Amino acid sequence: MAKDGAAERRNVLAELVEDAPCGIVVTDPDGRLQYVNETLSGWLGWRAMPGDRPQRLPDLMTMPGRLYYETHLAPMMRLQGFAREISCALVVEGGAKLPVLLSGVARRDEDGIPYRFDYTIFDARERHLYEEELRVARRQADELAAIVRSSPNAILRVERDGRITGWNGGAERMFGRRAEAALGELVQDLVRFEGRPDWFGRAVAACEEAEEHVFEASWQDGRDAEVTVAPIRERGPAGPSRCHSVILRDISLRKQAERHLQIAMGEMKHRVKNTLAVVAGIARQTLPPEARDHFSARLRALAMAQDALARPEHEGADLRDLLEFTAQEAGGADRLRVQGPPLMLSPRQATCFSMALHELVTNALKYGALSDPNGHVLVTYGLAGDADDGSVRFVWQERDGPVVTPPAHRGFGSKMIGAVVEAELRAEVRLEYPPEGGLCEIVFRPDAAGPP
Amino acid sequence: MIVERNNVVTSGRADGRPIVFAHGFGCDQSMWRQVAPAFEDRHHVVTYDLTGMGGSDLAAYDMDRYADLEAHAADLNAILEELDLEDAVLVGHSIGATIALLAAEMAPNRVSQLALVSPTPCFLEDDGGDYHGGFRREDLEELVHFLDENHLGWSAQMAPTIAGQSAGEPAAEELTQSFCRTDPAIAQHFGRVTFFADRRAEFARVAQPVLILHCDQDALVPMRVAEWMRDRVPRNRLEVLNATGHCPHMTVPSDVVAAMRDFVGPG
Repeated sequence: MAKDGAAERRNVLAELVEDAPCGIVVTDPDGRLQYVNETLSGWLGWRAMPGDRPQRLPDLMTMPGRLYYETHLAPMMRLQGFAREISCALVVEGGAKLPVLLSGVARRDEDGIPYRFDYTIFDARERHLYEEELRVARRQADELAAIVRSSPNAILRVERDGRITGWNGGAERMFGRRAEAALGELVQDLVRFEGRPDWFGRAVAACEEAEEHVFEASWQDGRDAEVTVAPIRERGPAGPSRCHSVILRDISLRKQAERHLQIAMGEMKHRVKNTLAVVAGIARQTLPPEARDHFSARLRALAMAQDALARPEHEGADLRDLLEFTAQEAGGADRLRVQGPPLMLSPRQATCFSMALHELVTNALKYGALSDPNGHVLVTYGLAGDADDGSVRFVWQERDGPVVTPPAHRGFGSKMIGAVVEAELRAEVRLEYPPEGGLCEIVFRPDAAGPP
Repeated sequence: MIVERNNVVTSGRADGRPIVFAHGFGCDQSMWRQVAPAFEDRHHVVTYDLTGMGGSDLAAYDMDRYADLEAHAADLNAILEELDLEDAVLVGHSIGATIALLAAEMAPNRVSQLALVSPTPCFLEDDGGDYHGGFRREDLEELVHFLDENHLGWSAQMAPTIAGQSAGEPAAEELTQSFCRTDPAIAQHFGRVTFFADRRAEFARVAQPVLILHCDQDALVPMRVAEWMRDRVPRNRLEVLNATGHCPHMTVPSDVVAAMRDFVGPG
């Protein structure tokens, strides 16, 4: 019976090794394969595809594993006698590579000379997947952290009640205070703005309505800041975050430049007006009375266009503002009725347009609809319906004036409109003289960004 | 202090001809433990850990500085100067062989012979050239990624203790995988520096006599690379060992010792 028991035990052990829930490999100290169990043969696709078998353990591995075997694994087996949980991938006949974890132990003789290496190999497909995800997430987090660390802006993480829980290197430099001395303090105490004692509370309230709250403010030392407060929308294990990010940008230089620019623009406007006044004076003294009035009126239109351009926030002028001046010349909004949206023109277009409007209104006052107390002008403009390139159709239509007859010769006005407007605005201009009232149509592309 | 920084260990006869061992990529000076003691009877034996490896001061591994093998060669040179070694034999394994060769070029007055174990001037294939290092760039990129997966029990908390203990100390060995363990970031960086190095020009102009030990079954260095060195290295003696793998100093140490003794002479 004892003998049978021993035999059965051998059978169980043999089965255990062959069908173990892991791969088992035995090599000589040079890595030559001496035994590969059934489980691993199955994983490697050997049963399905008979053929030449690899000779050495590293030959079962993909290229980096082979290099790693030679540079790390084999020396470790010899020097320390074991290796644990080495992550590598095995080559599968006719299939995707198999990520595994490999552990090994060296068997040594009485003199300590290794004569056999035994390895167990575990299927690590699932583990490999989530570890790869973790590695990717860690890399992304590291990259983001590096951006925050090295940003020149102060970037803070602040609890809803104002306590600071994050204070980056930019904040350390901007406020001259180490993170250890800032964490736990109230943000309103460390970051103080002129006339805004409760800036953080207000920003948090404003964030209820919007994605973020941005404002500009001045520090007590006179520097200017742009402040962006935004809720940190992430859901941790303990529920949604109650924190806000606060980003502070020192915009003192930009603000200073803006102030210089405003002063320069005011100065420029002043000079242009003076120059136009001088020109008007010269004209009064040198031109005959008839020409003098014409010239002065044209000069005034030019001055108005300059005014519209000189507003600090504009790099051009709104067509509506130009038409407002023209309506004044026409005798009021009742006499010049305007229908059209706000429309920004580049400085060059605005100058050109204001001159054209002046000619049109002068002509209407003299010969057209505005020469009759009942007459008026209807101005309509908007995107040209048949164009998808942003073209605008501007129509000047005179109504209820004297019966119109086409002029015998073209005066300065129509020449100016024809030549200058067409060229400068790159516009198509149409002048018509039907009996019920003159009509001028200008189709052009507004170019608010700058000169065409 | 270079001796502490690089965990320099000396043994043998202080008045003997110096023989300095540089290990390769992967482990540390303990790789030489079956070879170096054989020279203690006649030589002043010096082993050390490359900066960033083994028991060296990891804080000294500046990634910018060590982006070139010259930095490691300069370290070896500093050891020669600090110990004031002359007429030295430099022994290097794999990338350590390249480091020894670069150091020999820097210090012609101190180094008189080179014994290179499984050396290669370049692991990469030279597309369009007549050099066949054995590996494509993609394979080696994969290896660098692979090093990120195998930290060998490394964690930053353990680093200081490891840095402070000598590599051969048995106590810690059985607890964790202390051999071949490196800061994963350094392992990746040094792996890149090692496997993308191309030092064919330096191999082709080395001034000292060179012993080249090559295994006939080396998985990392093809026979064609050994033949390239035999044909291009000025004063070389190529010995092909009947051995498998890339580490003959561990698999057939007595053959390595015999070949080196024959090359170095009575000392």
